Amino acid sequence: MKEAAFAFFSLFTLLTAAGVVLSRGVVYSAFNLVLSLFGLAILYLLWGASFISMIQILIYAGAIVVLFVFVVMLLNLEKPQDIAPPWIRGILTGVSVWGLCFILLRVFSRSFGEMPSVEPQKASVRMISQLLFSQYLWPFEILTVFLLALIVGIYMLARPERETPHESP
Amino acid sequence: MEAFDYILSISKVVLILVGVIQVVPIMIYVERKVAALIQDRPGPNRVGPLGLFQPIADAVKFLFKEDPIPLNTNRFLYTLAPFLSLLPACLVIAALPIADKAILFGREIYIQITDLDVSLIYILAIGSLGVYGILFGGWASNNKYSLIGSLRSASQMVSYELPLGLAVVGTVMVYGTFSLREMVLQQEGTFLGFLPNWGIFYQPLGFLVFLVASFAETNRLPFDLPETEAELVAGFHTEYGSMKFATFFMAEYMNLATMAGLMTVMYFGGWHLPWVKDSQLLEWLGSQNLLCIVQIITYIVKVAFFLFLYVLIRWTLPRFRFDQLMELSWGSLIPLGLINILLSAVIMYFTGGKV
Repeated sequence: MKEAAFAFFSLFTLLTAAGVVLSRGVVYSAFNLVLSLFGLAILYLLWGASFISMIQILIYAGAIVVLFVFVVMLLNLEKPQDIAPPWIRGILTGVSVWGLCFILLRVFSRSFGEMPSVEPQKASVRMISQLLFSQYLWPFEILTVFLLALIVGIYMLARPERETPHESP
Repeated sequence: MEAFDYILSISKVVLILVGVIQVVPIMIYVERKVAALIQDRPGPNRVGPLGLFQPIADAVKFLFKEDPIPLNTNRFLYTLAPFLSLLPACLVIAALPIADKAILFGREIYIQITDLDVSLIYILAIGSLGVYGILFGGWASNNKYSLIGSLRSASQMVSYELPLGLAVVGTVMVYGTFSLREMVLQQEGTFLGFLPNWGIFYQPLGFLVFLVASFAETNRLPFDLPETEAELVAGFHTEYGSMKFATFFMAEYMNLATMAGLMTVMYFGGWHLPWVKDSQLLEWLGSQNLLCIVQIITYIVKVAFFLFLYVLIRWTLPRFRFDQLMELSWGSLIPLGLINILLSAVIMYFTGGKV
């Protein structure tokens, strides 16, 4: 039962992920992305990581992709514009895709050999928070400060040049 | 899992889902009657005694109406969108604990579809997916009003998820669990000797933030910017008719019921009667199943109170402007939520883990 569910949702995640790349319309891509992230969350759930699974849906499917869709709809992209002649695009795409494949394969072939296989265990919220607040406290805190710095930086970039006069109704 | 467990799970899903869907016709009737009361007119009074069969008439009307698909719409997403918004609304009900347990066929049966250890985040996460129905519906309709409505809805729901999440953090700190069932179990008895031991007395500020944010999350007045009829015709569902429109409507009311249920569970003691302990009640009633029925009624009464509050506020308050809406979330609710977390943490530190 669990294996069947796992196989089904793996296939679902992969197919929708392919759909993200292969879809003609940008909105269809975004829709496939939501489904793919949802499928991934269910895979986490099947591995016993319920907390990560829910956070995956809450953050990625529930917030970040909403903003993607938001931007896509606002721009109303119907046809992608050609930024270069087809042969240049072909060469660039080929080089980048095969380069990425090569790097990923090198990384995975190296790390898979050394990784010991571990029994999956149920990761409760308590376990995760205990690790987060003891062993990984410093990386966690540094990451939060880093994210805060990013938010401030984005605000600096995006804020209006000067304060617009407030229009009173 | 044996056959009995499967049958039990399926029957629980069917019974609870069908039970919660009854909120929709009741709410349609109550909403129209209260609106009429506030606006000093009789309201629905033609179909059946006191107009009580009006929801049935409405449903029949929706079912038999022509179901048009406008030209130049994206047919696939246009048809899918109402169900994309109904599906999350149905899914979240699975995590709401309605009552403690009943004893049937010699087994303890929990009156909750499933008790996840992360049920609170489950409700927030799945609930946040409801925005896609509105987004895709508005986009696929190929109508400027719909598109603006759905974009407003997206920014509103993303902005108000943050205060909602922050308010919930305070509750999780007090009870030390994400499981809603355990939360309710901890709210039994009295607090300080004279108050019911309910979450609202531990988290008054958190409750306030949650209440306001829940209005915005469910797109209700005074936050119904996605469907402002004065400026956007009907917002994201302008192009929808017949049962597709009704599906959006059902999703909205079921989201309301979920929010009301969540507030009952987190801040108002869930199935517990105020001041009374379940063990005392069990002694008086003498039977676990009778106790279970009392608990279900208590829960329904509490949820009904919040649903009534939603209706009352909808018909008495004017709508926010969009910049006021954003200002309220980012300028007031999020700071208040953060202050609530800080205060809870400080108080819990000095009282040794208990607020």
